[in-house]
Amino acid sequence: MLRLLSISNYTLFVYYLLSNLIYLVLLVTAIFRNTLHRHRLASLRLERLKASPFTPPIALLVPAHNEEKFIVESVGSLLRLDYPALEIVVINDGSRDNTLEELKRVYQLREARLLYLPEIPTAPLRGIYRSAVEPRLLVLDKDSAGSKADAVNAGLNAATSPYVCIVDADSILEKDSLLRIMAGVLSDPGRVMAVGGIVRILNGSRVVRGDLAEVQLPKAGIEVFQVIEYLRAFLIGREAWAQFNVLPIISGAFGVFRTDLVRAVGGYGSRAIGEDFDLVVRLHRYLQEQDKDYQISFIPDPTCWTEVPSDMRSLARQRARWQKGLIDTLWPNRDMLFRKRYGLVGSLILPYMVLFELLAPVVELTGYGTIILAAVLGLLSHQFFLMFLLFGYAFATLISIGSVLLEEMTYRRYNRARDVARLLLYCLFEHFPYRQLTMIWRLQGIWQYLRGDLQWREMKRTGLSESSPSI
Amino acid sequence: MEFASRLLTHLGPAALLLKAILLSLSGILLLLAFIVFRRWRRGRYFQRLNVRTYVIRTNWDSIVSGRIPARSWRLRPLDCSIVEAMLLDAIETATADELPALLRRLRDSGLLDMRIFEARKLHGWRQRSALVALGRTRAPEAVPALAEALDSPSLDTRIAAVRGLGRTGLIEAAVPLLDCYIAGQLQVPEHVLKNALATCCRSYPSILLSYLNHSRSVIRELLARVLGELAGPDLLDELLVLTADPLPEVRASAARALGNAKSSVALAALAALSVDPVWFVRLRAVVALGSLEHPGRIKPLLQGLCDVNRNVRQRAAWALARVEPDLGIILEQVIDTRDKYALQAFVSELERSGAMDKVIQAIVEHSQDASGKLLLDALTNSKDVLQRGALASAASAGAR
Repeated sequence: MLRLLSISNYTLFVYYLLSNLIYLVLLVTAIFRNTLHRHRLASLRLERLKASPFTPPIALLVPAHNEEKFIVESVGSLLRLDYPALEIVVINDGSRDNTLEELKRVYQLREARLLYLPEIPTAPLRGIYRSAVEPRLLVLDKDSAGSKADAVNAGLNAATSPYVCIVDADSILEKDSLLRIMAGVLSDPGRVMAVGGIVRILNGSRVVRGDLAEVQLPKAGIEVFQVIEYLRAFLIGREAWAQFNVLPIISGAFGVFRTDLVRAVGGYGSRAIGEDFDLVVRLHRYLQEQDKDYQISFIPDPTCWTEVPSDMRSLARQRARWQKGLIDTLWPNRDMLFRKRYGLVGSLILPYMVLFELLAPVVELTGYGTIILAAVLGLLSHQFFLMFLLFGYAFATLISIGSVLLEEMTYRRYNRARDVARLLLYCLFEHFPYRQLTMIWRLQGIWQYLRGDLQWREMKRTGLSESSPSI
Repeated sequence: MEFASRLLTHLGPAALLLKAILLSLSGILLLLAFIVFRRWRRGRYFQRLNVRTYVIRTNWDSIVSGRIPARSWRLRPLDCSIVEAMLLDAIETATADELPALLRRLRDSGLLDMRIFEARKLHGWRQRSALVALGRTRAPEAVPALAEALDSPSLDTRIAAVRGLGRTGLIEAAVPLLDCYIAGQLQVPEHVLKNALATCCRSYPSILLSYLNHSRSVIRELLARVLGELAGPDLLDELLVLTADPLPEVRASAARALGNAKSSVALAALAALSVDPVWFVRLRAVVALGSLEHPGRIKPLLQGLCDVNRNVRQRAAWALARVEPDLGIILEQVIDTRDKYALQAFVSELERSGAMDKVIQAIVEHSQDASGKLLLDALTNSKDVLQRGALASAASAGAR
């Protein structure tokens, strides 16, 4: 028993040290890559890209399930995007509210007798609509299959553009975000197969007629913690992994993919829980198996703003679902681990995901227990115990502050000094007690998955309000 | 110091942790201090920038005309950068009358020479920002310095040079771009090069033809693509020759250019391209035919409507649904094709363009005979075609 405790403590120590060191390497890499990217942007003129006849068309796929509150504003905002050749495909995924009726009313939808070829099988289509006032808009009405992936696949079947961009109906894209993300694709169109943009948190900001009018930090602490998490995940994590061309995930809220390639891998996995992670891993697998010289990239300046959970219950559900999605993707792809054929994806990123993402809640929460037990039993000096906890806390806080620094040095969306001060303050509390809470929720996710509980639980959302300063 | 070393000895194995904690805390403090310092410094910089921009803007006419001598702002870095930015912004939007005065100021003040020097002698991002600025000057003397950077080993520098040459919009800038590309020495993303060539060759697209005739494969395709965007009616004969090119991308580009030229002389060539074995050539030809105002286009467009490719069918339907006032006749011809997918595409396009009501109205008014009833039947039953089509495709997908 005592020996077991000792081994456990030792393991936790090495694990913690390793995970923090990896994040330190990622931070340095991200700073380097961000600096390079900003210098590259100096020679890029977006208005030229917009005016260019060579800029390829994009189909925006917008799955919408019970989105009557903001679907009209959301589509309006997408139609106002700066992009020369846009095709917007809204997929009404069996909504039980008035999502379709709202679209019909505002955009004067008429049933169109288009031929729809379900290259990727989906739930049955009820109808296809085109707008009498907006030729770029196509609306698909389909039965719900209970997943966003199925809706996206229906959109993929209908899209005619060489690139597709998947956008959540409750998210807001910045006006130039498509041009910026496509600049990344066009930098090497032969190699770049997919690009992800940054997703930022909309809560607290002011939205007017579906467009972001003013960026503000959310008021509730639980939302501010998520701002820091997102900054760290995108500005450090994804930026750095993209440098090694092993980006494991492109957010389902905003990413551009080559249409033919997504079709070739069979679209989104319709039963996948973490469909965005699942798709990118399958793309890596497919391209590696084809021996293609490819790139799946991340660009930090095209921005999508999205609503995040503002109450504990919804956040807990979201985190549990993410964890289930992680297992659900990693398990079927376990054959890629440490196989030479899959390059760095198999030997670096997937092992990292297993060790430091999937197992993190198990190792960390077990570790806390054994450390406390060892300290109580006198196996561990109290000084060592306290110092270990303090070190873990200080190092993780350093990384969080590093992500705020990156934001400050680069895109500075939170301009007010008060917002930055609050962000820094919350960095001090992120790793105690918020982190431990998320670990418990993630552990719940693992438990639910092992029990076979794969049910989608609704999140409480408030919608994009015009009059209210916060959402 | 003695206390610290005694403490470390006392702590034993925890000493390493203590060092790590102290290091992390120092890191946190450093980062915090850096963020605060940076915000303070930026605040001050923008305050100064604001003040100086206002002063320079109020004296702008005197600065441009030279009444305020360049030496009064040239040697102050902040003033110099403000004036340069304002000059470059003004040049980008200047009319032909305003441009000479702005360029003269740029030359007289030595700003242009300084940028040329930086583009030649510096490296990294400083060189690249000089290249960008040179491109924005639209001055012919910037072209050689920009062209030299095309040989840079750094991809980012080459891209900046190509963008710079493109931004000048000068035909002189197209020559080094084309020479370098034809020689196979220019490795930059295709999109960047195409945009630069399109801007530089806009006033004289025939320069592309001479290079096109001496190039092969990928290079030839890229040049044809640019030519397809720029060529006008004056290059009609050359474009007609290109419609018989062995490369499909070249044929497609020729079709596109012929569509832009809007000449009925191109009708026969476009009709021939509309049955090309390659789908995107047919697509381009159908789009081009749609832009011609000639009754002879209907027949090839009807062929396009029966194409095996969905995109070609859609574009043909789009073009046909806009051939007013003969939509009733065209509907009859579409029915005569006995192609249900064609009928479906056409009806859908009629609905979308809002012409459906007019067509129905016209048929009802003249529907005394059997053919009118037949047309109405075709319109009302076309939804069944959709269902049958969907079922057939679903069945075939299942079979696969």
